Amino acid sequence: MSRTVSSATVVIGAGLAGLTSAIALAKAGQDVTLITKGLGGLTLSQGSIDIWGRTGAGLVTDPAQAVADAPAGHPYAVAGADAVRAGAEALCGWLDGWFEGDLHHTRLVPTAVGAWRPTCLVPAGHTVQPAAGQRWVVVGPRRMKDIQPELIAGNLARTPLPDGGFVRARGVGIDIAARAHEVDSSGVAYARALDEPSFRATFAEAVKAVVHEGEIVALPAILGLNDPEAFADLSKRIGHPLCEIVTPPPSVPGMRLDQALRAYAQQAGVRIVLGAAVLSATTDGDRVVSVDADTAGHVTTYAADAFVLAAGGFESGALEYDSTGTLSETIFGLPVTRAPGAPVVADYWADQPLFEAGLSVDASMRPLGQAGKPVCTNLHAAGGVIGGAVRWREKSGEGIALGTAWAAATAIEEATK
Amino acid sequence: MRKLSAEVVVIGGGATGVGVARDAAMRGYSTILVERADLAQGTTGRFHGLLHSGGRYVVSDPESATECAEENAIVSRIHADAVERTGGLFVCAPGDDPGFADKFLAGASAQKVPAQEITLSEALRREPRLNPGITRAIEVQDGTVDGWRMVWGAAESAKAHGATVLTYHDVTAIQVEDGHTQAVFCHNRKTGEDVTIDCGFVVNAAGPWAGHVAAMAGCHDVEVVPGRGIMVAMNHRLVNTVINRCIYPSDGDILVPVHTVCIIGTTDHPADDPDHLEIPADEVQQMLSAGEVLIPGFRQSRAVHAWAGARPLVKDHRVSASDTRHMSRGMAILDHDARDGVKGMVTIAGGKLTTYRLMAKNTVDLVSEQLGDNRPCTTDQEPVPTATSGINYTITHRLADREAERPTGPLGQQTPNDLGHQVVCECELVSRGMLVDTIAAHPDAQFDDWRRLLRIGMGPCQGGFCALRTTGIAVERKAMDAAAATALMRLFIAHRWIGLWPILFGAQVRQTVLDSWIFSGLLDLDSVPVPAVPPAFTPPGEAAAAKTATATDKEVAR
Amino acid sequence: MSTPIAAAGLGFAGHELARASLDQCLKCTICETQCPVARVTDLYPGPKFIGPQAERFRHGQSVDHSLDYCSSCGTCTLVCPQGVQIAEMISQGRAVMKAGHMPLRDKLISQTVLMGKAMTPVAPLANAALGIKPLRVVVEATFGIHRNAPMPHAQSQSFEAWFKKHRPARTTEATRGKVVFFHGCAGNYFEVATSKYAVEVLEHLGYEVLVPSHGCCGLAQQSNGLFDGATHDVLKLCDDLRSAGKGLTIVSASGSCTGMLKHEAHEIMGVKDERLADVGSRIVDIMEFLWTLHQAGELPEFAPINLSVPYHAPCQLKGQRMGMPALDVLGLIPGLTVRESGQPCCGIAGTYGLKKEKYAVAQAVGKPVFDHMLKDNPGFGLCDTETCRWQIGKSTGLRMEHPIYLVHQALGLSPVSTAA
Repeated sequence: MSRTVSSATVVIGAGLAGLTSAIALAKAGQDVTLITKGLGGLTLSQGSIDIWGRTGAGLVTDPAQAVADAPAGHPYAVAGADAVRAGAEALCGWLDGWFEGDLHHTRLVPTAVGAWRPTCLVPAGHTVQPAAGQRWVVVGPRRMKDIQPELIAGNLARTPLPDGGFVRARGVGIDIAARAHEVDSSGVAYARALDEPSFRATFAEAVKAVVHEGEIVALPAILGLNDPEAFADLSKRIGHPLCEIVTPPPSVPGMRLDQALRAYAQQAGVRIVLGAAVLSATTDGDRVVSVDADTAGHVTTYAADAFVLAAGGFESGALEYDSTGTLSETIFGLPVTRAPGAPVVADYWADQPLFEAGLSVDASMRPLGQAGKPVCTNLHAAGGVIGGAVRWREKSGEGIALGTAWAAATAIEEATK
Repeated sequence: MRKLSAEVVVIGGGATGVGVARDAAMRGYSTILVERADLAQGTTGRFHGLLHSGGRYVVSDPESATECAEENAIVSRIHADAVERTGGLFVCAPGDDPGFADKFLAGASAQKVPAQEITLSEALRREPRLNPGITRAIEVQDGTVDGWRMVWGAAESAKAHGATVLTYHDVTAIQVEDGHTQAVFCHNRKTGEDVTIDCGFVVNAAGPWAGHVAAMAGCHDVEVVPGRGIMVAMNHRLVNTVINRCIYPSDGDILVPVHTVCIIGTTDHPADDPDHLEIPADEVQQMLSAGEVLIPGFRQSRAVHAWAGARPLVKDHRVSASDTRHMSRGMAILDHDARDGVKGMVTIAGGKLTTYRLMAKNTVDLVSEQLGDNRPCTTDQEPVPTATSGINYTITHRLADREAERPTGPLGQQTPNDLGHQVVCECELVSRGMLVDTIAAHPDAQFDDWRRLLRIGMGPCQGGFCALRTTGIAVERKAMDAAAATALMRLFIAHRWIGLWPILFGAQVRQTVLDSWIFSGLLDLDSVPVPAVPPAFTPPGEAAAAKTATATDKEVAR
Repeated sequence: MSTPIAAAGLGFAGHELARASLDQCLKCTICETQCPVARVTDLYPGPKFIGPQAERFRHGQSVDHSLDYCSSCGTCTLVCPQGVQIAEMISQGRAVMKAGHMPLRDKLISQTVLMGKAMTPVAPLANAALGIKPLRVVVEATFGIHRNAPMPHAQSQSFEAWFKKHRPARTTEATRGKVVFFHGCAGNYFEVATSKYAVEVLEHLGYEVLVPSHGCCGLAQQSNGLFDGATHDVLKLCDDLRSAGKGLTIVSASGSCTGMLKHEAHEIMGVKDERLADVGSRIVDIMEFLWTLHQAGELPEFAPINLSVPYHAPCQLKGQRMGMPALDVLGLIPGLTVRESGQPCCGIAGTYGLKKEKYAVAQAVGKPVFDHMLKDNPGFGLCDTETCRWQIGKSTGLRMEHPIYLVHQALGLSPVSTAA
């Protein structure tokens, strides 16, 4: 038994690209249904907005300029610098006061391996920019295995800053339990504990006890999940500049951003259908009419005037490379562009051609077919499903998501005018 | 320069060499074993994990079948901790000649290999994912064995009987004077120290590298042809008993549940160099198709890692064809006194892991005979120190161990604040306590050694989550500084890739991309400066592979 | 070599559905971060650990008893972007663990029909008895049911008894044909008013409502690991529902039982039976049904209700992967604002929150839901599932209603609520 639900636009995927396009269209007055198999990759992200952090030549200091100079075939070159800027500005407007920074300056954030990671827009107040000669202390709870203060401090101190200088850094573990007897607590367990003022007081005392005068304090990014006052309160209690360290998943800053953006989407009227995998699509000529999603017990048909495919790249299964060597886009069966030659090579650190594979799109973000024409006039793509960039190497994931989502939403709005 | 002396020096730290060292030590000879890398890092650690019931050979090689059946029982007992008594099935797949099963049953009966035909419904009840189109099923007593664990157990036993084990020692020369071996010269690859071992007897158990070692003593033309076979490990146990095709032994005809994975094997192609074993794409495809015959949906299951091992097959024209005592059943013992006029040296090669103890016995029998005292072998009498409980390995044991350490578990209540109870590697359930103990016990080891000891980083995520934790803990325990640890973390990740990229499809692509997001995207590991890796940390074979890897973008390179 | 799973009659889908899906797990931690139980207690190792991770170490036995702290709310499966059937895997692990040594308590609280049947004729007495503290203390000591756990309120007349006597108060003919109404055990014995609203709404919309006499779906037994009994019950229920006629849409106001029929009996217990497949594909949640009618332009205008009402979408409803149709339908009522809790689970998760050792966990899980309900309400709150309403009602003192309550009003079938 099939049941049909109709909307103006159906968005597939709940990562930054999906949420951005859904919110943009809902704010423009459209009835939007967002269908997603699970929670999006945003929850796993570092919670800042990368635009373009690294190229083969090294650190990018002006991300906006790098976007403007993007080589042909790169998603930025197709979406255009204006869409990237507009997408980023829209996000900053929706989550007013959430971010600080501008698109022309790279900021550096310490990571759990002790790198200075480039990014662009950062959660306001949560970072301190490193400068040569500063004294940093990395403090981490021993019961959180993803933070190893000695390793982080050792590497931060030996990794050169853009001007060639170095910070001084030392690492200290503290013994403080997020919960009763727990010795193996995730960052999220600490973040939830730090939402409580009483635990913050205890935590701050433990940190203060190991910090020296004049030091910048780097703590794992666990300083509160739901209480927006947690960071400021800890800053005040500890009395030193605080900086959050990027951790492996679970990533608290990623969860904060995901929660805020999903809540914003729902307020904006986006209907979110969680847990439903989109199984197939129905087309009529050059238009997608509907997609079928796996509702328990039966299939639900979601009909719409326009569709945004924002289901991610290989990591989410939107792109698949199977045991027979077939490369595919798994929902619409769209043609996937990949470089000729071997998909992967034996040197781990070399560029792996497979990871640059993805959809080719036009300026309206419509996936292109063999003849270089859009496969469907009302099907648009956004985010990691688009090929041409290795987002994790470039540190460009959020920028590509915002730019392509904005371009897709703009094209849909214009088409319905 | 360090000077040592021993009655017997064993070259090669695989199952055979360690077995010989244990046997010699148990007979009371002072014994030193020399290995260029870590124990069981060569062929012994690169097989499918099958402890033969003998069933595989009842038709093709009856004598081997009987030996396997006997040794299976002994190894299951003396290495209980390394052996899981999974049982096995020989099945006739659709298209296989069901008549072979009759030959099989007859052979098993003649060779005293326990075997019993069971109904198809019973076979499918036991193994629901088995191809429902099978036509016959025979139950045998196959088991599975962790080659590393078995070898460490044997090494511990050897040490308990007075032997010395020197890992990461290259043999640089063997001194022969007046037609008799005098000394073995070694180089410690980690400290750079040279070591001279005066000795009365040398046992060359270098496996695929045995020809090279023999030549050092002036014994030329020992031709060991490495027979390369690939194995593919699937992410979880699709079956819980060993599944064999009931056919004449062939490629891709066994599926072996070992630890948390199950392994399909294997192929057999001559290789030029055991340090350069490729995992060709066509052989991977061959394994997947063979798996599909046994388990429908095999291709949609997740391959997690692949590797290649080299069987040391001896082709020696100088041994007379009538010398069956030393040349039969795939194992070759070369008496270099008879062959080359060099006294005090034998070469042992070939054979299979299941019969490693028997090979060692036969070898040391010859050594003892030549030393003139004919001391008896006792290796089948005594369990190795890691197996004294007599309890065989079970798949659930780590889950039970971690459960016991939960905050509310019996251990947890006693020591609620024991950081050792953190789970560092979640895929393989390795605790921080296990890691810290291993780091302390093996201070000069590298991450891959810890991996072999603990299975850390061997599960689905292939180090994606545990590599950082391990690196950090190594620094925190002061085993190394941040620079060295980061270099080893990078090396560990690159080493995992050797066995990943040949099978990179399906869910493992997703995992690799998520891991890339973590290492590169979140952590920005690429940008942390690293010192050059000390050469000692890269085993000879892998160093060579790493050098060629960048130059090769063909799918068939290793 | 025998496999204990198969020996215990549990050699079901574990090998095919849920277990096979562990290959999709990338360890990404999303399930861990969203699990409502792991959020409030360290007694539970979390869905990733106890699901796809532990499953690789399981063969015929479940040695990790901490898995029983899973409440089976299904949030992990819902949020997993990779399609791992985490909750289903854990439920199967629990069934294996409990095979043969099920506590009496788990058997008792999973026998919903027996409880309802026993209590209906003596409703006032039963309600009084459940309200007596000393008696509940004895029950806790004997059966392990927490003394403060929410218990259903027995009604003096069952829904089926009411339905047999009632006549549709219709103004128009039943022009839209027949639908089957599924009331479930709770809807028959305890939540009789909700069932009445549902039937009256359907009849008002022009349907001829059929209610074949039917029993329990077996969900409570399933969630307590009693697969044999649950399978028997769910198939018996399918027969009952199928007896009303071929191909008819089955409408349900019992969110969790709907999930059992739609997917859980198949995905968790591996029941492969065409009767289940037939019923599972025909049954729809009443809000899902109404939203589809609206989409087809077949729902009349609603009268305004000027209220702001807190709502909680139950875990077992979200697990049906259809979004939150109650929000969509109630959004059509002019003047009405419905505020969803945004929380994964209220803590009861069927029978979990009744158990003595789980009670505190369940209360902690539900606390954000309780707070949401208490913050701004017109004297009642909304939730689609019976046991959740009992849990939230007991913990907040608030009257809890099914969303159909307001639809009933908006169609003019009962007086419109006003702010308290």
